[in-house]
Amino acid sequence: MGRFKNNKKGRVNVKPIAKSNQANVDHVTGDKIPKSFVFSRTKLPGSVKQLQMDLRKLMLPYTALSLKEKKRNTLRDFLNVSGPMGVTHFLMLKKTASALSLRVARTPQGPTLTFKIHQYSLASDIAQSQTRPRCPPDLFKNPPLIVLSGFGTQELHLKLATIMFQNIFPAIDINTVKLSTCQRLVLLNYNKDTKLIDFRHYSIRLQPVGVSRKLRNFVQTHKAPDLRNLQDVSDFITKAGYGSESEGDEEAATVTLSSDLGRVNKGSTKSAVKLQEIGPRMTMQLVRVEEGLCSGGIIFSEDGNVDGKNKQDGDEEDAASEEESEDGEEGSEEDMDEDAED
Amino acid sequence: MTKSRGTDMAKKKEKVDSESDIKSMAHQHAEFFDKLIELIPARFYLPDETEKKWFPGLSKAQKARAKRKTTENLKKARRDRLDPEKSALTTLDLLKQKIEKEKKLSHVVADDDDDSEEEEADNNKKARTDSVTYEELRQRLHRKIDELKGGRGGSDRPRSHEKRKKIVPNKRKRESGSVEESKAADKGKGKMDVEEAAKDLTFGYVKIDDDEEHGKDKKKRRLSKSRELERALKLEAAKKDPEKGEVIAKKHSWQAATSRAAGVKVHDDPKLLKQSIHKEKKRHEKNAEKWKERVEGQQKVRVEKQQKRSGNIAERIEQNKMRKIAKREKKLLRPGFEGRKEGFVNEGGK
Repeated sequence: MGRFKNNKKGRVNVKPIAKSNQANVDHVTGDKIPKSFVFSRTKLPGSVKQLQMDLRKLMLPYTALSLKEKKRNTLRDFLNVSGPMGVTHFLMLKKTASALSLRVARTPQGPTLTFKIHQYSLASDIAQSQTRPRCPPDLFKNPPLIVLSGFGTQELHLKLATIMFQNIFPAIDINTVKLSTCQRLVLLNYNKDTKLIDFRHYSIRLQPVGVSRKLRNFVQTHKAPDLRNLQDVSDFITKAGYGSESEGDEEAATVTLSSDLGRVNKGSTKSAVKLQEIGPRMTMQLVRVEEGLCSGGIIFSEDGNVDGKNKQDGDEEDAASEEESEDGEEGSEEDMDEDAED
Repeated sequence: MTKSRGTDMAKKKEKVDSESDIKSMAHQHAEFFDKLIELIPARFYLPDETEKKWFPGLSKAQKARAKRKTTENLKKARRDRLDPEKSALTTLDLLKQKIEKEKKLSHVVADDDDDSEEEEADNNKKARTDSVTYEELRQRLHRKIDELKGGRGGSDRPRSHEKRKKIVPNKRKRESGSVEESKAADKGKGKMDVEEAAKDLTFGYVKIDDDEEHGKDKKKRRLSKSRELERALKLEAAKKDPEKGEVIAKKHSWQAATSRAAGVKVHDDPKLLKQSIHKEKKRHEKNAEKWKERVEGQQKVRVEKQQKRSGNIAERIEQNKMRKIAKREKKLLRPGFEGRKEGFVNEGGK
């Protein structure tokens, strides 16, 4: 019995190498876990490719880290694959001569938000700029928390953006969540005056308050301290002082943990929450909201001044909006500058 | 006489000496034993007062609880061991304590108890006063820092879904805000601005139990596809309406986009709905076909089997009969004879 050839004519193969043993439904809450694909349908210059990789790492663990897309893959292919795999969001990067844009869309027929990226920094740049970059081994094993600030609830497009971002990451169940799994944070800050959204990605660290730095380091790293200049071990413990200089600064940034976390932070004692930036940094602006997945009517466009045309009967409108939204979407290569915006 | 006196004295002295000798010897022995006891950890030397839990007999939850308790006890014991305020109790001390306790119990004298309690209270008070001064100093320092920084206004809690506090919203925002504002000229002022601006914070979703019930209720109100199709057609007609069509269309598209972003499925496209109804119908028909075929097939098989069986039975009966006849005939096939009498040669007769 021979193998039958694939009947569909124009069908192309998308080869996403995703982890197949991931749960679709959260065991604890019973909700569907949102998964995402981060890809681009056009060719990207070097640094933008790195940005795409950074975004993929940000969305871990519920994303395809080594997703491979071919030039002949269309959006249709990705849609077809996303159904059985339970992928709910697409994050698409696109670099044209004028701008770099990020599209966040919800899969089956969801709305598409188009952000224009004015500036970005890569994760490696940020790590190089820090004196002590920090990346514990299981940093990307759990999804990040998300904080949105300044979005308000008045303007519809901002409200839609908040809902969209809130749904990209899975919800946390306060009854069963373990503090050690909350290790990353994504922060989006909307600036009303410039209408720009700042995107930041931090790693969370808890430090006990009221312990001197020397003692803390010693307990955490277990490296023998240098006692050359001290007369007695008690000097090491008592000489240290009140703690880091910035401790008074963060007096209010302390929390009382409900349980022990790691070796150093004990439950029901005060610990300071420290954020250290990892991951990409972006400044973006919401330019367009479309009803469908990169299709459909534009319900918001360009700085919110012109509330775009809605999808009604008019074919002309359809054609016009299609033109707007599909420039370059066929996959045709355009002139791409090698230098990405910085 | 002196001799006798001397011997008397000597004897007395000896007796005294020997007494003190015995005392010192006894003392030395006691010390030696004490040192030995101190070498043995208390856990092994003294009998365990708490009743040992019979772990294999406990349920799973109880075992988990007991395990947690033991780890907590271990941690506490480790802390106590290294805590300078709580003196290290050697085996000897514990033994002495035990003996004292027994004495108390045997006498049942209230005074003894009071005494020991007073001692304990004194110790605690001393420890507390020490720590209070330390705390006081720290607080004073922090207050001074606060004053220098121009005081802090307490910002009110943002409307968020979260109940329990793991993240302190404003100060977290202030920290990240300060990362950006550090480039700004006036660090203090910048912080105040950011604080005020960041009064509305929204967080990711947090599951609280009462939300579940709402979800379950909503599921029951799921409309059938045909009803949804009607609704979608009505909506489309409303959109085409000249006067309020635009408003309705806009409102609907925003609503649909918001609920789709939240994961709720919105069925508003009549074409897709028709397609899915059609598919469902086809699927239903196909299944009905399959079922019919299956039932028919079963019947056919049954009928065949029954027929075959009855055929086999009839055959067997026939064969038995044949056999009996053959047997009977065999008896009459004697040599010289040709079998059963079939009648006279001349039929009819005279």
